[in-house]
Amino acid sequence: MNRRVAIVGVGQTRHAEFRNDRIYWENDYEATKLALEVAALDKGQIDTVISSGWDAVDGRTISDMHTCMGIGGYLKDSAHVGEDGILALAYAYLRIASGQFDTAVVSGHGHREASLEAMSKVVYDPLFTRPVGANYLASLAMQANAYAQRHGVGQDSAAKVVVKNRANGVHNPYAHLKAPVTLEDVLGSGWVAYPLRTLDCPPDSVGGVALVLAAEENVKRITDKPVWVKGIGWAIEGYYLGSKDLSEMPSLAAAAQRAYSMAGIKRPLEELDVAEIHEPTSYHELMAYEALGLAAAGQGARLIDEGATERGGKLPVNMSGGALSTNLLGASGLVRAAEATLQLRGEAHGRQVAGAKLALAHGFSSLTGAASPTNCVVVLEKG
Amino acid sequence: MGRKVAIAGVGLTKCSSHRKDVTYPELVYEAVSAALADAGIGFEQIDAVVYGSMDTFGGVFAPERWCVDSCVSAGFLNKPMLKITTGGTTGGSIALGAYYHVGSGMFDVVLAVASERVGEGLEAQLVLNTAVDPIYERWIGAGAITIAANQASSHFHYYGTTQEDLAMVAAKNYANALNNPYAHLQRHLTVEDALRSRMVSWPLRLSDCCPSSDGACAIIFASEKRARQIAKQPAWVRGAGQITDNYFAVDRPWFHDWDSLAMLARRVYKLAKISDPMDEIQVAEPYVAFSIQEILEYEALGFAEPGKGAELIRKGVTAMTGKVPFCPSGGTLCTNPIGATGLVRVAEAALQVMDNADKRQVPNVKTALAHSWGAVVGFHTMMILDKEAP
Repeated sequence: MNRRVAIVGVGQTRHAEFRNDRIYWENDYEATKLALEVAALDKGQIDTVISSGWDAVDGRTISDMHTCMGIGGYLKDSAHVGEDGILALAYAYLRIASGQFDTAVVSGHGHREASLEAMSKVVYDPLFTRPVGANYLASLAMQANAYAQRHGVGQDSAAKVVVKNRANGVHNPYAHLKAPVTLEDVLGSGWVAYPLRTLDCPPDSVGGVALVLAAEENVKRITDKPVWVKGIGWAIEGYYLGSKDLSEMPSLAAAAQRAYSMAGIKRPLEELDVAEIHEPTSYHELMAYEALGLAAAGQGARLIDEGATERGGKLPVNMSGGALSTNLLGASGLVRAAEATLQLRGEAHGRQVAGAKLALAHGFSSLTGAASPTNCVVVLEKG
Repeated sequence: MGRKVAIAGVGLTKCSSHRKDVTYPELVYEAVSAALADAGIGFEQIDAVVYGSMDTFGGVFAPERWCVDSCVSAGFLNKPMLKITTGGTTGGSIALGAYYHVGSGMFDVVLAVASERVGEGLEAQLVLNTAVDPIYERWIGAGAITIAANQASSHFHYYGTTQEDLAMVAAKNYANALNNPYAHLQRHLTVEDALRSRMVSWPLRLSDCCPSSDGACAIIFASEKRARQIAKQPAWVRGAGQITDNYFAVDRPWFHDWDSLAMLARRVYKLAKISDPMDEIQVAEPYVAFSIQEILEYEALGFAEPGKGAELIRKGVTAMTGKVPFCPSGGTLCTNPIGATGLVRVAEAALQVMDNADKRQVPNVKTALAHSWGAVVGFHTMMILDKEAP
C-alpha cells in the first residue's frame, strides 16, 4: 500500500423504526455532521465523499444526487457505491491510499421506501430463480437451513445469538431495539421462513452512519485517537442458489483471508479484542464465526454455547447489539465499522470492551440474500 | 502521489435498442472476453472487478450479481468486486474506481465493467424523473431531455447559437458513427434531415437526442509494470477526476455555461499538466447525449471561449478532418447504454491512444480526453489518456 489510512471521525443517528420528519439523505447529513464534529473538521477540509446504498431501496434513481450533497460533496469529487456502506469505506480507503485524496467522508443510511420482498425478487434472473419465489429472506432461510442440517445446529444455538445481541443492544443508546429477549421469547416467536423465526431476523431500521477518513500525513493534526485501517478485504460469491453449497460463506472466508494477511493476523480468536459481525439472521452469525476463522467448520455454535462471544467472553461479538438490534438496510456493515471504531476510541460507554486494541468489523452487502453476497472485512487498530 | 496506471485492454459490444440475441450475462461476457482478448491475458490475471450499471433503467435489479461469473468468474473465485452507480457518469465513475484500485497499490490488474439492458426496462425518462425532488421538480417533468432543452434555449438566447448549429453537430456525429461497428444508430443524416426531424422538446429535435441502448463495455487497468508487460502501447492515465454540482436543477439558472464542468476541467488539466487543451489534446470523447452539449463542452473544456463554441462546429475544427476531432465514435448521440456510456467514452479515448480505433482512428493521437456527465446535468467525470507515461 502507498500509505496508511485512519478513521478520525465517527457519527451515527439514533436509529428508529420510523422517521417521518426526514428524507432518506437527511440521515446521511446528520451522521456526517456528527462525524465531522468528532474530527473537528469543517466540510471544506474534506477532499472526497462516498455515499452508499441501493437506489431501488431509496425509491429513486441516482440517489447520490442527494446523499452526496447531504454529506458535503458540493463541487467535490464524489462517488456512490451501490452496496452496503462498508464498501464505501473500502473505496474511500483506496482513494486515500492512492495518494490522490487526503481526507474523505463515507456515509450510509437505512430508510427503506420500497418493499424489500418485491424488490429482492427482481434481483433474481427471470428464468430459473424468480419462479421459485425466492427473495432476500427466503434465500437466507434456505442458507440457514442448509447450514443447520449439515452440522446439526439446533434452533436454540441460533436463539442464543439473538439473546446475546439483544441483551447487548440494551446498552447502546443508538440502537433501534433496546429491549432484551429470552430464549423462550425467541423459540416462541412465529415462523418467518423455516428455520427462521421472527426474532431470528433483524428489524428494519431508519438511521444514518458516517466515518471520516484521513491519510497518515494528516492524522496527527486531526486527532490523538486515530483508528488505523490495518487490514481490509472484500469478495463476492456465485449467483445461482442451486449451484453452490449454501452451508458455507466462501466470500466471507476469502475477504477475511485478505484482511488478515494484510493485518498480519494468524490466530484471530486470540489476537482480536472485539468484533462487530453483520448478521442478516441469527444463523449467519454462527456461520460467520467459522468463515472468519474464529471456529472450525461446523463448530460455530460452540462459541455461543460456551459464551466465548458474549460480554466478558474471550472475543465479545456485537457489543452494539448487532444487526439484530439495529438494521439499516444498506448500511448495517458500516454501522459495524463505526461501532468497532468507538470501541478502539474507548468511547463505547456501556458497551465498551475494556482495553480493546484490535477490532474486526464485517459487512454483508447483498440485496440478493444468499445469492451472490459481497462480504467485507476490516481490521482496525487503536493508534 | 500514487502509482502510474494505464489502460491495457479494451472490450466493446455492439449496441442496439435491444440485444435480443444474448442474455444479460452473455452481453457482459461479450465485453469482458473482448477486453481480455485485446490485452492477451487470461481471466486468472484479474485481481479485482469494478462494476457499473444504472439498475433502475433495466429490468433486473443489481445485474452485477446475475452477471458476476461473466466477469472473470469473480463469483466462483470469490474475487473482490465493487459496484458503483452514479447515473450517467456511472461508466466514468467506474473508470475512476479502477484507476484508484490500481493507484492504491492494493491491486495490479483491475477490470472495469459496465452494462445496461435498457431494452428490458421502462422508458428511461420515466425512471430518470424519479431522481428529481418529488415536491419541487418532479411535476415539471424534469429529466435529461427537458434540462438539455434548457441548456439549448439558454445558449441560443445568450450566445446566438442556432438550430442549424445543433444539426451540424448531429450530422457530424452520425457520420462518425458509420465508421464505428459498435454504434447503435448507423445511418446517414444530413443537416437538412436533422432540421426536418421531429421536435422533442424545443429546440431539441429527435436527431439532437441520444437513443437508449443495450450494451456493455470492459476496460483493463494495470499498474506500470503490468501495463508494460501486457500492452504494446498502453494508454496512460495522466489526470482524472469527478465533480458534484448541486441537485436542484432549478437552482442552476445559468444553463448556457457548464460551470461545474469548466471547474473540473481546470482541476484535471492541472493534474495532467495541460495548459492549452486545443494544442495539447488531439481527440476528445465527451459525453454528448444531446447535440447542444457538444457546444457547451467545447467551451467548458477550454477548446473555445464562452459563447464561441458554435464556431468550432461551423468551421469544422471538431470534424474527423479538423484539428481536434470530437466524438470520432459517433459518441453518446448515436449510442447510449446508460450506465456503460461513460466507460465507452474512456474506451474510445483509449483506443485512439493505443492506435486501435480502426476506421475511426484519428491520425497522430498522443493525448485524448474522455468525459461523462450524469444526474440532472450535475455530475461530471474526466480522464486524460496519453501515449507516454506521466
